[in-house]
Amino acid sequence: MNTSEEQIEIISKVINSTKENLKPLSVNFIFWGSLIVGMSLTHYIFPQFIQSTEYSSLLFWTVLPIIGMILTVFYNIKVQKKTGYETYLGRAIKIIWGVFNLSWLLIIIISLLKDVNPVPDILFLLSITLLITGLIIKFKPIIFGGLLLMLFTVYINYNPSINFLLVNIIGISLGMLIPGITLYKSKVDE
Amino acid sequence: MNKPIDKLLFNPIRLKIISTLINTSECDFSYLKKITESTQGNLSIQIKKLKENDYINIEKSFKNNYPQTTCSITKKGKIKFEEFFETILTYKKS
Repeated sequence: MNTSEEQIEIISKVINSTKENLKPLSVNFIFWGSLIVGMSLTHYIFPQFIQSTEYSSLLFWTVLPIIGMILTVFYNIKVQKKTGYETYLGRAIKIIWGVFNLSWLLIIIISLLKDVNPVPDILFLLSITLLITGLIIKFKPIIFGGLLLMLFTVYINYNPSINFLLVNIIGISLGMLIPGITLYKSKVDE
Repeated sequence: MNKPIDKLLFNPIRLKIISTLINTSECDFSYLKKITESTQGNLSIQIKKLKENDYINIEKSFKNNYPQTTCSITKKGKIKFEEFFETILTYKKS
């Protein structure tokens, strides 16, 4: 018969082995950070190519992120299948980023209808999502990344003439890519 | 006098199942098999017992033509686990 000590040991051992693995989240951050920075750099360096037709820029900024979304959805499903369980923390993160994706699509549609630049709204939405994620997983680089991106959006609103591509490159690098790499490294070192 | 211990959770395999599910929103059969280090038949029996007592929910589905069993803890299961944990703590102190 098990003693109470053995029962407690069973519970703590099982709970410790069923914890949230944050490495896939960092992979998502690195992927999206690299994609957006890469796309912004391409657009900045080759504007005549990206803006060659009336809709080429629009296609560039919607088709590639949608392909990215599909790829990350498949990657996350594969990771969850391999893990075999979903923690409450993982579920919360999944819902937050699911709502982000939906809101991102809505912003794109509204900005198209109203013929306005969607970048400030998307960056603000991203900063909030990053901040919430950072606070939930208690990871300071992501919290600071979210706050920094939020400050960027305030700056954009007071300086509307600024080049949004440069804002994307700096903002996403500092707010998403670098915190993502930091999270990945911290999880590899564990 | 100490409270009587929940006999259903006193079994190590069932305790491992509930301890896993308390920390997860859902968990598949193969992971439970791995964590409980038990055979498929034995795990099925223990899961059935927990289900019969309303401690867990079982969902059966098909993924890529393979049957998949997913388990999650019920509200009653959570309460019973908390009570069990408090009881074993009092046993430990006494």
